[in-house]
Amino acid sequence: MDDRAQAAPGRPPGKTQAETQAGTQGRTQAPLRLGRTEFAPGRLLVMAIVNRTPDSFYRPGLTWDEGAALERVHTVVAEGADIIDIGGVPAKPGAEVPVDEEIERTVPFIEAVRAAHLDVIISVDTWRNEVGRAVCEAGADLLNDSWSGWDPKLAEVAAEYGAGLVCAHTGGQAPRTRPFRVSYTDVMADILDRTLELAARAVQAGVDPSRILIDPAHDFGKNTWHSLEVSRRLGEMTATGWPVLISVSNKDFVGETLGAGIEDRLAGTLAVTSVAAWLGARVFRAHNIVQTRQALAMVAAIKGDLQPVHTVRGLA
Amino acid sequence: MISRAVLCPSPPLLARELTGRDPAVPGLRAACTAAVAWLLEPRPQRVIVVGPAPATDDWDPAGRLDLSAFAPALGHAGKPGLPLSLGLGAMLLDQAGYTGTRVLQAVGEGEPAGQCAQLGAALAAAGESAGQCAQHGAAVAAAGEPATMLVLGDGSARRSEAAPGHLDERAVPFDDEVVRAVRDGDLPALAALDPGLARELMVTGRPAWQVLCGALGPRRPVTEVLYADAPFGVAYLVARVDPGSRVASSAQRKFSPK
Repeated sequence: MDDRAQAAPGRPPGKTQAETQAGTQGRTQAPLRLGRTEFAPGRLLVMAIVNRTPDSFYRPGLTWDEGAALERVHTVVAEGADIIDIGGVPAKPGAEVPVDEEIERTVPFIEAVRAAHLDVIISVDTWRNEVGRAVCEAGADLLNDSWSGWDPKLAEVAAEYGAGLVCAHTGGQAPRTRPFRVSYTDVMADILDRTLELAARAVQAGVDPSRILIDPAHDFGKNTWHSLEVSRRLGEMTATGWPVLISVSNKDFVGETLGAGIEDRLAGTLAVTSVAAWLGARVFRAHNIVQTRQALAMVAAIKGDLQPVHTVRGLA
Repeated sequence: MISRAVLCPSPPLLARELTGRDPAVPGLRAACTAAVAWLLEPRPQRVIVVGPAPATDDWDPAGRLDLSAFAPALGHAGKPGLPLSLGLGAMLLDQAGYTGTRVLQAVGEGEPAGQCAQLGAALAAAGESAGQCAQHGAAVAAAGEPATMLVLGDGSARRSEAAPGHLDERAVPFDDEVVRAVRDGDLPALAALDPGLARELMVTGRPAWQVLCGALGPRRPVTEVLYADAPFGVAYLVARVDPGSRVASSAQRKFSPK
């Protein structure tokens, strides 16, 4: 299913109905460039998670084997993923993964993915500049810096290779640490401060502004109440004009909100995904590609950005 | 003089509003409620609340816990926000219906043991002088004992792989020793806790416990542990501390006060 933006009649250009209704008075979204492709603002992108780790939180070890991982890439591309997000280190605490080990887990795999899928956008989830350099050499298009500029040199690497960069918020947490009694005077204000500062620094370092995304990073340095607040107020991020990425798939805040175990969080994930899409988010990091694609297509159709596939009900 | 003291933990989830529809820790809250009721039983003229915070400071007694810092949807209380530990202490006093004088004393997370002990001694002495003053006034002479102390803080947050700070093998033995020391009224053992190790193990209670040691001086208290568990990988401890009047000596310390 293609949810490419289509012109809807009677609407000012560059402003969606959701933005108008949410009363966001901010900057208009501009095209997002990733790899060799330019994505219009109304185009909603799915980023498929393919972890090269034995111990990530959701279905640990699913794609630890390289053959299984490549098979997973073929599947998610067929299911409509636009971006493959490859991670070599889990976000949760655990055994240390040295730089060379992280490179060993990601680089050969990126080369294999690139060989099999010339046009898919390859993203790498890392906070280390050494890894960033190695994966860009191997053909990565986007550096997904989930740990919020912990290594400031990562932006320089993105600039050097013409790669994109995700600027996330963690509340200052060190990589691979869990939130412990974190509190904010205003969590969204803190997120805006940090992500906009990182985006500005990235531009200053030479990263192409059309390749920068901002990410509130649900659950990172946040309790469930904070992540719910972020979800409710996501329009404040999209109003900045920067494209917003959200990463909510099967996360703990969904589980805590619903009292749902790790295998029972899909409906909650899709609900957050839908609200975020309505509020203007553009990239959705996900485990469940088919379902995420469908939820996004539905929201795009409600917004008027996508024509329904087939409409004969009451029309025949 | 401190006539009674109570140890309570200071996780945000002690506030019922923060755990959603699930009370999550009813047993822990009940233990805190029971301990604070006991603390207020002698009708103290003042309650000194001691808890860890980024810096040593005394806080506005009108302050309260700002729940919105943890759950924005709950909104501001409209009162000056306190550091977490003192805010929870104030909450426990409110829940017990205490409306008397309260002193809210934060102790810096990195405060050395000696400084903590000095702070404790100064707080106890201030309580004593206040008590003496009060006893000169006929109207308040029968008001009750001078001061009690509510001490907030927790053991390690690194007790298991699922704990906030992940697993550190030293965490459980450290907490076990704290519980033993509290159970035995062994203040010297609490006073000797290593701040560096405590910090590495994400133990928040260390400085506050050492303030209590300074406040009680050389006495060997009789204690009762009401709760000692770690349902989420963080060690919570609720205990009553009755300082008694006995001064610990090497001879006495051969025998357990229990």
